[in-house]
Amino acid sequence: MKPFDIIIVGGGGGGLYAAMEAMKTNPSLKIAVLSKVYPNRSHTSAAQGGANAALANKAKDDTVEMHIFDTIKGSDYLADQDAVDILCSEAPKIIRELDNMGTPWSRLDDKTIAQRPFGGAGRPRCCYCADKTGHTILQTLYEQCLKNGVVFFNEYFALNLSVSGSRMKGLIAMDIKTGKIEGFSARTVIFATGGYAKMYWNRSSNAAGNSGDGQAIAYRAGIPLKDMEFVQFHPTGLRKSGLLVTEGARGEGGYLVNSLGERFMARYAPEKMELGPRDLVSRSVETEILEGRGFDSPAGKYMHLDLTHLGADLIKSRLPQIREMSMYFEGVDPIEEPIPIRPTAHYSMGGIDTDNFGRTVMEGVYAAGECACVSVHGANRLGGNSLLDILVFGRIAGHTAAEEARNFEPGNISEEEVRESAEEIRGYMKPGGHFERYGALREELGQTLGNNVGIYRESSLLQKGISDIEELRERFKKVRVFDTSDVFNTNLLQVLELRNMLDLSETVAAGAYAREESRGSHTRTDFPNRDDAKWHKHTLATLEGGKLALGEKAVTMGRYELQERTY
Amino acid sequence: MTVAADQHIEGKRDVTLRVFRLNPQVDSKPYYDDYTIPVERGITVLRALNYIKENIDASISYRVFCQAGICGSCGMRINGISKLACTTQVWDELSKCREEGIIKIEPLRNMPLIKDLIVDMDPLVAKMKQYSNWVDSTMPEAEMGKKEFLVSEEEFHRYDKATDCILCASCVSECSILRANKEYVSPAVLLKSYRMNADSRDGIHDIRLAELVQDHGVWDCTHCYRCQETCVKNIPIMDAIHGIREDAIESRGMKDTAGSKHAEAFMTDISKKGKLVEATLPFRTNGVAWTVKNLLPMAVKMILKRRTPPPPPLVKPSKGIKQFRAEFKEMSEHVKQDHKTHNK
Repeated sequence: MKPFDIIIVGGGGGGLYAAMEAMKTNPSLKIAVLSKVYPNRSHTSAAQGGANAALANKAKDDTVEMHIFDTIKGSDYLADQDAVDILCSEAPKIIRELDNMGTPWSRLDDKTIAQRPFGGAGRPRCCYCADKTGHTILQTLYEQCLKNGVVFFNEYFALNLSVSGSRMKGLIAMDIKTGKIEGFSARTVIFATGGYAKMYWNRSSNAAGNSGDGQAIAYRAGIPLKDMEFVQFHPTGLRKSGLLVTEGARGEGGYLVNSLGERFMARYAPEKMELGPRDLVSRSVETEILEGRGFDSPAGKYMHLDLTHLGADLIKSRLPQIREMSMYFEGVDPIEEPIPIRPTAHYSMGGIDTDNFGRTVMEGVYAAGECACVSVHGANRLGGNSLLDILVFGRIAGHTAAEEARNFEPGNISEEEVRESAEEIRGYMKPGGHFERYGALREELGQTLGNNVGIYRESSLLQKGISDIEELRERFKKVRVFDTSDVFNTNLLQVLELRNMLDLSETVAAGAYAREESRGSHTRTDFPNRDDAKWHKHTLATLEGGKLALGEKAVTMGRYELQERTY
Repeated sequence: MTVAADQHIEGKRDVTLRVFRLNPQVDSKPYYDDYTIPVERGITVLRALNYIKENIDASISYRVFCQAGICGSCGMRINGISKLACTTQVWDELSKCREEGIIKIEPLRNMPLIKDLIVDMDPLVAKMKQYSNWVDSTMPEAEMGKKEFLVSEEEFHRYDKATDCILCASCVSECSILRANKEYVSPAVLLKSYRMNADSRDGIHDIRLAELVQDHGVWDCTHCYRCQETCVKNIPIMDAIHGIREDAIESRGMKDTAGSKHAEAFMTDISKKGKLVEATLPFRTNGVAWTVKNLLPMAVKMILKRRTPPPPPLVKPSKGIKQFRAEFKEMSEHVKQDHKTHNK
């Protein structure tokens, strides 16, 4: 096969935008998107609330500048200010572009794109389509990719980068439908594989496949990961499944209520109340539960998200999906009674370390979206900024790769290298000494992360987490793939995803243990304050000689000085 | 306020999932495997399958992703009906079993089978391409991103529901036309086509419509309503199909296909007599040559068995035809008026 100029791994919003922008930048390039699911299944579809942009449709006095400030403050000053500048300045253009391509935005009376209030934002600037914003954006982008003839390798699982010395030669991947391992020689690779929060398993709102494949592949290839300890817990996951109830539910006026019937957010964020930033609201819910003001059930302790006062009409028109999910997964109709919720691991702020153009330290390798860490979210992402991130930086990465692809020699992946990969995979299926069950390992990983590397962290807990992960990684060496078939071996996929989650979990726990301060989503009960003198910097996690090495990187400052963060 | 009364311990029941199996590498024909597991209330079919895969048989294969009813990966037939495994409760299915306590799990129909519960989605994607299932923007390339289109809330509501579609292909699986003709456009693609045609930002309405009225297109639907009945997002798919047809008649007249001529013949008969004139229907739908060539042997048989419908002069108008005609006229005017305001 002729080498590709650009291989994009991941077919969510970031990957699809990268593909279209790359084609637009240089139509003569050979470009393909490789995705382990059909692109329209990607987790972008689960984003409910919306995307922030200072269009000033709803609040006429909203400005890009205010969006920048809200984002930096929301990040607890760990975001790079030049990157945030790009994110927020590009926002209005990219939302209009989506409108021009057919995204069905909800509308205001004056026929402009509708906007709603969102957590941590000074103005109602979250553009939405009911509570299915991510779904409709993903559909639009997929439709446009079909229109533009983007080449897709659907249901291909990326395994590893092929690297010789410091030179990236391409990607090794498995065709899930046949089980065949293939080498994709390429000048450039863009990772847009989404987040890694599924390592918390049933304490996560993420899709089953959000195993951080791109981050793990990059990490194994020696590319540094950044700020991995920052995992956002969304305050309102459904009690039983961890599935998400959008912040839009609070944006529309929903209350958080404890077992005493109090709107307890009055204690923690008297001004913003339920619309405080996510890290703060999650901690507040957790504190209420720990202090005994939660509701009890066999499925664990929980809080109430009360929408009943909003009325049937509003719930049906603006939050139909939430109603459906509450009924399916909790048996509760939010028109009649409050929804049982508790915090759920939702978003990974950390990811592959990139510059503002999507470049990693390895020539020819790029990353964008939740998979990358530019960083625009710092220690805590604001609601409505994740869809924006994938769109803006997906496009930028696509553009950069298209401009630079021809600077690199095309790689050439040898047959031997492909054969080695295939043999490694066959190894998981051999009985000798392989007996560990995937399900048990995954369950234990989720538990130890939830208990020891969760919302509230502390030295001894984190040590426990680190040693648990080490033990799990040892046991994983004896894991067995019981299904030995070639065609659509989902048992094998589960094991390969678990490998990625295990590799990454070490970086999350180690980063959390090292960072002796509390900032954004990272809360150390033994170091309850933000420590700018020592810790106003990014964490880098790099694999060096088979061992995790932690490093650091300065935060790019700008117009905004460090301030205490209160709401 | 007291702590919610949520403490009752829920019992478990033994439930058997009878799962369709076929691994094309080793099996020459499909078979079913029974898995009996304890299931409590609130467990979805997908979670039951996960339990089986992790604890009993790791080789059982199905797609799973969001587990929240939004990605559309886990479409399968449960007790004979196509739906999402992640939003279907095991206990709810117990009342729908043919054999008591045995829930049948099978792959979606009308798409090529890959393995067990996994079918090939490529043909559906190919149809989305064939029928231009995208907005071809009227905004010039150079102007993209500079300004918003102004779209009324009313227009938004025209396609809002249609954009709920998650391409789970349940409707594709249930479609009775697709069972007979795999080339048929399929309900999901019609729904998307309708949504694009209703969008004022799109500039290729006519091109899309011209493709939709060809063979295997919108006129092939037989109104069985299976797609709409099974839609996991409760989208009124048939409204979309009717919408495309009305649109086609309005903007292209009745010239396109046998289907459209068939519909026209119905309208003429009903407006004149209040009932069908069946004897001449084939001529008016498919033309004289086609009818003679294809239906003559059947016509002869029908004559021999004295089963021929009466010729036109013998078809008497229905009772109360005068009042019917008046009402029919009024209705037609009404519909026309509706269309006019709709298209403004």
